[in-house]
Amino acid sequence: MKNTISKKFSIGGIMCLLCMILILAAVLYPFLWLILSSLKFEPDIVQYPPRLWPKQFTFMQYIKVWDKLPLFTMFKNTLIFSALVTISNCLLCAMGGYAFARMNFRGKKTLFIIILFTMMIPFQIVMIPLYILEHFAGILDTYWGLILPRLTWPFAIYLMRSFFISLPSNLEEAARIDGATEYRIFRQIMLPLCKSAMVAVGIMTFTNNWNDLVYPLLLTNSVGMRTLSAGLAMFVGQRIIEYGATLAAAMISLTPLLLVFIFMQKYFVQGIALTGIKG
Amino acid sequence: MFKAISAYFQKTETAAWVLLLPSLLCLTIFLFIPLIMSFCLAFFDVTIFLKNAEFILFDNFKELFFDGRFWNALGNTAYFTVMVVPIGVTFSLVVAMFVSENSLFKRSLRVIYYLPVICSMTAIGIMWAILLDPTIGMFAYWLRALGFKNVQLLKDPNLAMPLIAAMTIWKTFGQNMIILVAAIQSIPDEYYDASMIDGANSWKQFIYITLPALMPTLGFCTITSTIASFMVFDQTYVMTRGGPMFRTETLVQYVYTRGFIISPFRLGYASAAAFMLFVVIAAITMVMYHFFMKKEAKGL
Repeated sequence: MKNTISKKFSIGGIMCLLCMILILAAVLYPFLWLILSSLKFEPDIVQYPPRLWPKQFTFMQYIKVWDKLPLFTMFKNTLIFSALVTISNCLLCAMGGYAFARMNFRGKKTLFIIILFTMMIPFQIVMIPLYILEHFAGILDTYWGLILPRLTWPFAIYLMRSFFISLPSNLEEAARIDGATEYRIFRQIMLPLCKSAMVAVGIMTFTNNWNDLVYPLLLTNSVGMRTLSAGLAMFVGQRIIEYGATLAAAMISLTPLLLVFIFMQKYFVQGIALTGIKG
Repeated sequence: MFKAISAYFQKTETAAWVLLLPSLLCLTIFLFIPLIMSFCLAFFDVTIFLKNAEFILFDNFKELFFDGRFWNALGNTAYFTVMVVPIGVTFSLVVAMFVSENSLFKRSLRVIYYLPVICSMTAIGIMWAILLDPTIGMFAYWLRALGFKNVQLLKDPNLAMPLIAAMTIWKTFGQNMIILVAAIQSIPDEYYDASMIDGANSWKQFIYITLPALMPTLGFCTITSTIASFMVFDQTYVMTRGGPMFRTETLVQYVYTRGFIISPFRLGYASAAAFMLFVVIAAITMVMYHFFMKKEAKGL
């Protein structure tokens, strides 16, 4: 596409540039403030007037929050939960997406419409029955309880289907003629092909589950099972810790995702773009 | 015998079901059954201890109808949505127009604008709650420096929700921006070339080419944002816990509070409220879907 907004150095062009830089500052400033504030001593944070730059740099807040909150446990829980869910999502949704995209079976259309419908149901609607179900199954407040309901994700099935549909149509024909079974075609031809789509889906699943609040808040209740989001939200509410330590905890919970983002931002955008095209 | 079974599993049709089975099982158990249950639960009087459930037909709904706190929560949620969706989507569109080119500078801008999207709402909420704190926050200080008196920010009942909405737009605009950039980039160059020959200026190009071409994507963004906004919970839970004076209590938060925080933990009643939320969302989605489909059909 050609740039529709004037390319010349017109007044409009300069205004656009200024706006973009203003938005850039607005996006980055809070993060900068967060990083710098987490490196301050408590009196430095609550002083009036507030200042951005610390009087003296310190890692004390990080040490303090590590002492006061079960951060390691929360970190471990979040990692186990999001990593397992991500692996399972990549696999199951690739399988489902492939079946919808490249295989014919009775009831396919209806089933796909049902999958589209499930994409529209937010977790919040079913949270109470899910809680009751898990209570009766005895898996409330366990890893099973967190992981099982998230093993698959309709949205990812949909994305995977879009991906598999875009592949050339004669890929599996030759293999079928050679007598390869459907499972072998999927495992040896299709799975290697969908790596990039899997990475995109995986990153989305990982971020969503890492960040999710209401889901782990509801399905866990012991401190030992809390994820980072749920745990932090709890502790902040109870005002157990001071501002500095709170900010350090927020920083710790953000860091892994920021690292993933910095190194894999190409895939983030890829997954999102897959979403919109079929909009 | 073994051969027959093996041959059966080799059939494409069977293989498709085998591949789909794990997903379907999981969705049935953890989504469909709960969905049906949530509908049924709304007709019961049952607490979190799940004893002595009593079938009470529409009593939960009747009670909801006269429950001021429910209407307050619905109103707050609608207020939040009305602020976040139109402003947010428009803002994303404007930014997407600015940064849709694939130059290094604009690509970097897109990456940075997307940064808040990947962060957890909990951490972002904690950060903004302190930034917007009336006593130690930066914003209160700046506003006072500008001569404003009585700066309350998040503690001000009238300002709390708009501030949370603004913060939400700050955090989420990158999501729709990326989707819209992808859509803008897929509009063929020929359209713009042809219109240039006809002497159209960039504003006219935007109105007659870009906007109509983006309609389905804008529809997608609007609908997904609306659903997400009606589900708002994280921000208000972390930043204000529904206060001040219940002015930021949202529907999901009310459901959560009724069911799991305030004794007696009335799951049936909370389910009725959740079910109302589902009805509202389904209705709005349907209306919007038809609105955008019609726009598309007309080629507007």
